[in-house]
Amino acid sequence: MLTIRRCPTVVSNYQETLDQTTGCGHNCLGACCIHGAKLPVYSFVKFPSAKGLGLDFYGESDSSQVQEFDAQHDPVQGPALPFLNTLILAQWEDRLSRGLFRYDVTACETKVLPGEFGFIAQLNEGRHLKKRPTEFCVDKVLQPFDLKKFNFTKVGQEELLFCFEESEDKGSNYNEMVFMKDSPNVVIINVSPIEYGHVLLVPRVLDCIPQQLETETFLLALHFALEANDPYFRLGYNSLGAFATINHLHFQAYYLATPFPVERAPVRRLNDNEEQDNDVKIFELTNYPVRGVVYELGKSLEELVHVVSRACNLLQNCNIPFNVLIADRGTRVFLFPQCYAERQARGEVEPDILETQVNPAVWEISGHIVLKRKENYEMASEDYAWKLLTQVSFSEEAFSEIKHLIFSSDEGMEQTSMAGNLEKLNLSQLGKDSAKTVHQGLNNGNTKLRKNLSASEQVCI
Amino acid sequence: MEQLASPNGNSHVNTNAVMESLELPYNRTIQEALGRHEYNFVLCDPRLPDHPIVYASEGFLKMTGYKAQEVLGRNCRFLQGPETDRRTVLEIRDAIREERSCQVRILNYTKQRKPFWNLFHLAPVYSRETGTVVHYVGVQTPLSKSSAEEAGDGNVVSDSLSESGKKVTADNDKNGCLDAHAHQDGDIVANGLDALNSRPRNGGLHLEEEFEVEEKDERRAITAVRSVLSELTKSSKSKGGIAEQRCMSLAESASVGVVCSSLMLSLTRIQQSFVLADPNLPDMPIVHASDMFLHLTGYLREEVVGRNCRFLQGPGTDSKSVQKIRESIKESKPCNVRILNYRKDKQPFWNFLHVAPVRGADGKVAYYVGVQLDVTLADTTECEEGMSAHMKQLGAVGAIRVAVRGLQGDGLRRTKKES
Repeated sequence: MLTIRRCPTVVSNYQETLDQTTGCGHNCLGACCIHGAKLPVYSFVKFPSAKGLGLDFYGESDSSQVQEFDAQHDPVQGPALPFLNTLILAQWEDRLSRGLFRYDVTACETKVLPGEFGFIAQLNEGRHLKKRPTEFCVDKVLQPFDLKKFNFTKVGQEELLFCFEESEDKGSNYNEMVFMKDSPNVVIINVSPIEYGHVLLVPRVLDCIPQQLETETFLLALHFALEANDPYFRLGYNSLGAFATINHLHFQAYYLATPFPVERAPVRRLNDNEEQDNDVKIFELTNYPVRGVVYELGKSLEELVHVVSRACNLLQNCNIPFNVLIADRGTRVFLFPQCYAERQARGEVEPDILETQVNPAVWEISGHIVLKRKENYEMASEDYAWKLLTQVSFSEEAFSEIKHLIFSSDEGMEQTSMAGNLEKLNLSQLGKDSAKTVHQGLNNGNTKLRKNLSASEQVCI
Repeated sequence: MEQLASPNGNSHVNTNAVMESLELPYNRTIQEALGRHEYNFVLCDPRLPDHPIVYASEGFLKMTGYKAQEVLGRNCRFLQGPETDRRTVLEIRDAIREERSCQVRILNYTKQRKPFWNLFHLAPVYSRETGTVVHYVGVQTPLSKSSAEEAGDGNVVSDSLSESGKKVTADNDKNGCLDAHAHQDGDIVANGLDALNSRPRNGGLHLEEEFEVEEKDERRAITAVRSVLSELTKSSKSKGGIAEQRCMSLAESASVGVVCSSLMLSLTRIQQSFVLADPNLPDMPIVHASDMFLHLTGYLREEVVGRNCRFLQGPGTDSKSVQKIRESIKESKPCNVRILNYRKDKQPFWNFLHVAPVRGADGKVAYYVGVQLDVTLADTTECEEGMSAHMKQLGAVGAIRVAVRGLQGDGLRRTKKES
């Protein structure tokens, strides 16, 4: 087993006190307290039509549609903030005034590193204090849920902002007091925020789903982005082995009113433009330190969800850690397979990069880098960010294997079983690699697909 | 241009605001002067809610198939459609955010929803006095397969989406950040963003012949921008009132209490009564007042910006409430007070005021926000409703925090690498 030692982030005020797991003694999000509680609920419409998407294809912030020239929005005021946005901001501000956060993130200095890409650095000295380093396994992307460890059912209800549920009628709506039953999707604060509005979306909290991406839950995350309808509110996902610290399914999200460097990065189209069937446009990043795939929403939300969650499924089943960024109001999804943790575990990350103690999860990969120490913050440069992120990326060779894996399954081979794909991949691997060349590759700063590492290759730290 | 003067058109922003947008900075003959140019272009005002079109040329209307009253007061996004590349939209958004020019090839749609390739060139017009962007000029140059031959005719729209399809791919491979052709344009240099091309790019995928066509179109677009800009400069009311290049840095103009245009774009989306006051200036003057604040208090914007908020107080105002606000400001903490305030016409109203410090990217307090809530008619038992109105106040504070952190002053904008 490959492991690294790192300090887990404290996302809830209940995380530190949790070694005894029986009885809660507070209004928690577990079945003991949530059933029968009256909680605020925002209801959204599942699969809204292109029209109902509101997010439109029409650029900024508009909920009015092109063909409707009847001035549905207030003619003087222009389009308002979408309701979900106001709700998140209001609830978050309220928790801030109640002192639930470990620090005021808006008092943390932040800047854009000089240069073309516009990497964003933040100095955050409060986020990482206290906790002792813990051992994290980095080479098991799927792990069973462990009730003994911290999970979001232990969180106190004051850290809940609202539940995010599918609407039973045609419109989105909000109700402050809903009698709770079943297993709600909860939106809770992250008490160690990276930026203003940092929340976690936990699908069906009582179902205790481990950190893995599936169609239904990914769809929920996309709906959250679509409803918030703000290009500066993105969702992120880290798999295990790609710097998720809690094995209880969750997405993160926060506001930052600037494009992330990865959103500006140039792309190359991968699927054919001419084919009518290709509703989802697929690209790869061409000039960015981390190799990744970009999916762009076409007419069908379902199709986007299908294509992305299928790719994620293949990755996690092949034990390849990855990060996902949902950007541009849910219309663009970035998928980054990554191998930094593995490199770190093998002692292959350069010391000056390691020294800054940055864990490159989805936000860092997207170009937003949180630094813990003033000297690192002041010295940070575009070159540093580039160097850090280069170590996150799979090599070109390994990445093309990964593309082969995730696209061979998409190109009309609906019937191809997962096992079939795996086999194909293994074959291509076996054709090229022996354990030796793989290690050489790693030493050269490359890495490989890990799914068929033999026992002899495993390293323990 | 008579359409513009018609107050009964289906305009989406009030016609006065659209008219004023042109009348305040330019001579009365501006419409006529612009009308003499045959280019396809629009002027947009980033300081009005939703960044609406305030002038559209005949060429633009002809090209897109809209009537003037259908586009005036609306944001340009109606030109986009389902096949419009998201990343290209982001490039434009990015340029507006950084208050600079950009040139992109974008798939646009006519009123009849016919797609066409458009070489879109965006350029800001700055105020010399405050450094803000007064208007954006947007020049549209439709591209077609044989646009080289048709260079003289701006109204040809290619309806062949698939033929142009390949161009998207080429376009996507263009550099991701600053416009490749930025060096042809003065204001990028002025912004110090010209020399950012430090990393190797994968930009070599342009087909040679396409590039030829493009360069011609690009030059044409730039010529159009220059002509319109020089017309605007000529028509500028005060001498040297308008500039094609930024003559004041964002930090400089923020330091004299000016809210930059990209921050303004975010602020005008917040539909609450609020003011921003700058504690770093003498006597903490108001630097921004929302439309709803003006509506609530009856003042004009120019009557409140630059003054301390205390003009809202009057004979019946409790000095204890005022004291409470002062103390919270002293401690850089938020507070709520119920305070008796006065409108311009001396009518008193009960204001459930929320005051909070708002920090910039440097982590320091850039502004204090005051969000007003008129509770004169609300009785004390109305707890539930009061709560949700208060939540709306907090929502406004949150939105302002996000906007100010990313956009105030130098904000989170890119800068050139030091060599």
